[in-house]
Formats: sequence, C-alpha cells, structure tokens
Amino acid sequence: MKTYKVKDLMVPLSEYAMVPKDASLYDAVLALEKAQEDFDHTRYRHRAILIADESGNVIGKMSQLDVLRALEPKYGELQDRHGLARFGFTKKFMKSMLNHYHLWDGALEDICKKAANAPVSQYMYTPSEGEYVDEEAGLDEAIHQLVLGHHQSLLVTQSGSITGVLRLTDVFAAIFHSMKACFIE
Amino acid sequence: MKKVEKLFNRVLQRVNINLREIEFDANPWVAGVIPIDQFGKFYAFYGISSRHPLDLSFAHSSVAGSYFLGKCRVNNSILYKTDIRGDELKSKGDAIKYQDFEIVVNADEMIRIEDSFLIKNLVHNCSHDPENLEEFNIQNTCSMHYANIHGSPTEGCFLGPFSTIDLTSMQDSVIGSYSYIQAGEVLHMNINPGTIWVHADGDFNFLYEYPQEILEHYVSVTPGQAVSGIFMDFIEARKADFQRVFDVVNLELPFSIPNGASLDRFAVIKPKITLNENVLVSQRAYLENSWLGKGANAQENCYIINSKLMGNNVTAHGAKIINADMGTHVFVGFNSFLNGKPGHRLNVGSDCIVMPHTIIDLEEPVAIPDGHLVWGHISRMKDLETQTYPISKFAEIKDGLILGRLLFEGDGKAFVDGFKARIHHILEANGAFYDGSKNHGHAQNNQNISINTIQPYSDGELEGLYPTIRITP
Repeated sequence: MKTYKVKDLMVPLSEYAMVPKDASLYDAVLALEKAQEDFDHTRYRHRAILIADESGNVIGKMSQLDVLRALEPKYGELQDRHGLARFGFTKKFMKSMLNHYHLWDGALEDICKKAANAPVSQYMYTPSEGEYVDEEAGLDEAIHQLVLGHHQSLLVTQSGSITGVLRLTDVFAAIFHSMKACFIE
Repeated sequence: MKKVEKLFNRVLQRVNINLREIEFDANPWVAGVIPIDQFGKFYAFYGISSRHPLDLSFAHSSVAGSYFLGKCRVNNSILYKTDIRGDELKSKGDAIKYQDFEIVVNADEMIRIEDSFLIKNLVHNCSHDPENLEEFNIQNTCSMHYANIHGSPTEGCFLGPFSTIDLTSMQDSVIGSYSYIQAGEVLHMNINPGTIWVHADGDFNFLYEYPQEILEHYVSVTPGQAVSGIFMDFIEARKADFQRVFDVVNLELPFSIPNGASLDRFAVIKPKITLNENVLVSQRAYLENSWLGKGANAQENCYIINSKLMGNNVTAHGAKIINADMGTHVFVGFNSFLNGKPGHRLNVGSDCIVMPHTIIDLEEPVAIPDGHLVWGHISRMKDLETQTYPISKFAEIKDGLILGRLLFEGDGKAFVDGFKARIHHILEANGAFYDGSKNHGHAQNNQNISINTIQPYSDGELEGLYPTIRITP
C-alpha cells in the first residue's frame, strides 16, 4: 500500500472557502458555492467554510450543520454540541421539542433576512487542539485524530501556519483505492 | 523526583490511558494546581467507635488531611483532605434488591481505592454496582476539588471540581465541573460542565444544563490555573476558621449538645448556634449564627450561615445555605448554593426539594412556596416561573415536561416518589427520628467516636507518603 503523508491528500488553503470573521452567513454560503465551482469536479465537494481574522489567520470553521443551526438561533439556547440523543431521550420526546420551543417557527420563511444579518463569528466553531495536524505527519496519525475526535476534517499546519485542510472524505478515498488495488493485483 | 511525585504521575498516566478513547488528557487540568509540597505537612485521622466496623489499610499512599471511618483499603493512591465515610457500607448477609433479583452480600463491604487521586472529596454510601456488592471500588480515577463520590464505583474517570456522581457505576468517563450525575451506569461519556442529569432507564429522564456563561461566574477551570469563581472564593474566605479545629487536640464543646444530637469535633461553630434534638453536624461542616430544628442535618462540607432550618432538613454534602429561612422537611441537594443576602433573604417553604447543584444567588428577596421542586439558577422571583414546579403537579406528569432549560421525560410520579423515599431514608439513617431508645442513626452513633491520627514521612525520598499500616479492632 502506498505510504501517504498528510500533505499528499490535503486541499490547499487557496482552494477552500474562506471568509473574514465579520462576514454574514450569506457571504459564507456564497464563498462555499464559489469554492465548490472552482474545485476539481471529480472530487468530493466542499462542505465547510473557514473563518479568518484580520490577518488572514484561520480562527474558526463552519459546517453545513452550523449554518442550519444558525438559521434557528433557539438551538443555541438549548443544548451543547454533543446532542441530546446520548442522554437517552426518546425520538418522540425530541420531536415534541420542535413544537414546544417553536423551533423553525417562521425561520425558513425568514431565511433571507437571517442569512444577511447573522455574522459567521457568532456561529463558527473554534477547532480544538486535536483538530490540527502537521503536513509531514503520516496518514495513520491523521486517521487516529479523525477517528478519536469524530472529526470531518483536520486543519493542516506547517511551522505553525495553516496550509490546508485534510478532509475525511479524501482520506477515505485514498484508503478505498488502496483496498481496491490489493484485489486487482 | 520524590516517590510521592512519581506516584502522582503514575496515577495520571493510568487515568489518561483509560480516557484515551474520548481523547481526554488530565495533565493540563492538574498541572500546577496540586499542592504536592503540602502532602507531608498534614496528619490523617480515623474514627473508632463500638458502633462502626473497623478495618483500614494504607499502602504506598499519601493520605494527608484525610479522614477515614469504617472499612477502607488505600493502595498506590493520593488522598488529600478527603473524607472516606464508611458508615453506610453493606454488611454480610444483607439482601440487596435489584430489578427482579435479590442478592445476598457474602462479606462486609469495603471501600477500595487504587491508583487514584482525590482532592478534598467526599466518599460516602455503599456501592450501587449490582455486579460487585462487596467492594466499593475507586480505581484509576482523578477527582478534583469538592467532588462527591456517593455510592458510585468509578474506574478510569476524571471528575471536575464540585461535581457529584451519585448512585452510579462509572467507567472511562469525564464529568465536567459542577455536574451532577445519577444515571445508574455511565460508560465512555464526556459530560459538559454544569449538567444535571437524573436518569432511571424506562422510568424518567431529568436533564438541565447551566448556561456556560453563568456557570463560569461560580466555577471556572483554566488548564494550569487554580479553580476559580464564587464557590472557591466563598470557601477560601472561611478556610482559616478550620485551622483551629484541626490544630487543637482537645476542643471544648461550645455549648451542651441536646439529646440525640451530635456535633463533630472537626466542624466549625461560630456564634450563635442553636442545635435541637437529633441534629447531625458532620466533620468539615461550618455553622455560623444559625438555628437548626429537630432532626436537621448538616453534612460534610456544608455551610449554614445566618439561617434558620425548622426541622428534618437535609443539607446534603457540600450544600451551602446563607441568609435563608427554610421550612420543615426541606431537602437541599449536593453542592447547592443558596445565597440570600442580608437585605433580601431567601425563604424556602416546607417540603420543598432543592435539586442537587442548584444555584440560588439573590438580587431581590425570593420566597419559594411550600412543596415545590427547585432547580437551575435563580436570582429573582421571576426565575421561579421556569425553575420551580409544584411537586404534586410534577407527580402528575405522564409523558414529559419542557420548562425553560429543563427537559423531563417519563413518569413524574416515579421521579417524585424516588426522591421522597430517598429523603426519608437519609433522615432515618441520620437519626432524625430517634425517640430516645429506638431509630438510632448517625447522629446518635457518632456521639462517642474517638479520633486517632497517623503521620507521613516528613522528609527524605518518602516525604509525604505514609508507612504501610493496617488498623483493625
């Protein structure tokens, strides 16, 4: 099996959707759409947006789930990111929350206004220490971080600066091709 | 490096190995905040009486400032100013009911602490692990300031400051600061700070999470720094008062103790205190200018200041009641912080249940009516709308209740009945119902406890460690 390093599979920062921290949700979605159009169409489409500070340093990430959550701010008042399911509530009870909290009550009709006003900095996610990986690291180390942290991607660094994003989907594709190659040979 | 430091590192390694799956590293949370240089400065002490079993052993451990009662084995562990109260352990021949089983205990139960670090903790009650009734195990566990391990065997866990794990078997899990968990079994979970979770599978599920921005005022933990916030400030401001009770060998009782009551010699008493019959005041409790009615109790690490408790009140481990008037039969759960102010007191009606880890910190006078369930963070009367509920109405809940940040699913009656039965049991166990001859409990049994001390090595490579000791009748 081919020995990969993180830098062999990462998406360079220049090819990723990135917006400044004072951008709106709408700006972020536009940036994602543009990055998807410009990106290699044979590869899996981007799903996340990076958020940068005034100096262009990456300070946060927004996933598709974060965007949806931003459109209904009441989720922010409810529970943590890890979700309720792990506490053993039933599906029926969680459905009842939809009515009780009036979740999405008008939120979808009001989507344009919300997208224009909501700043990404309010809804972005700040990556933890375990979401950074050096571009010289081996694929085994990166997979270890993805699996243990249940992450969809890792930020790739070189000498402390972020140079790209290692996506779970690209790692999976590399492993998948290697598995196929075993049987072809 | 001294042996006690090697021991500390070894414990941390074991905790981290257990928690690798949830990617938790205990090192940043303890680095620089653990007073290793203090381990050689304090004696440990243990109680003996004709009413309590005695079998204590310590091997390759440091137990500075810690208290032991009953049966306990400590190996390769560090316990700092921690209370191990083995006065509710199971006895040989006891029949334990669990689901459809009735299991007979085949030996007297023992608390076994191995490869663990506990700082200013309280360990009490008996193991609620039906698979291991004879041993209450605490293994490969790091438990931070003022955490309570109550009837909860733990293996490979990290407990944040002011957290409580209650009647729950816990493995390979992290409990965030000021979280209270009573869930039967917790495996491989990382629970956020300020989570109050009471879960009985198939019966009910109670979940409340503090807003993090509010919780941070009360308890805040930054890696590499001491625990901070209102809770620690409150305790630190009264730390010097405990100095005298630990320094002086023979303390005179400040007043005569009424019939059936007990006042531990390691409690702080500041004028003017009135204790009535069958009152229990445990070690490390702090009482100042207060009145405790018949059958009331103040458990370990409790503070009762400028307050009146009308009788049969349970003030559970670590609870604080300041400038408050409490009716009869009020239960205040673990580590709750009830902070009335001189200008606007707190009034809690009779038969209220204040859930464990509730914060009432007043900005105006607040009166909670009789018979209410209380939870969350309350500072004004308006907060009662979403953080209290009549207990009688709660018992009528069939499916669920969503109120403010509270999520409750299941049978409200099962929840209420469970709490009421437990409160009755606590009062009974504490001797609140003693009638002069029957219904003995801790208040009566603790009246004649003698205290002995043991000392660590004070210098050299073994500084801070205690010699291997076995203490039996």
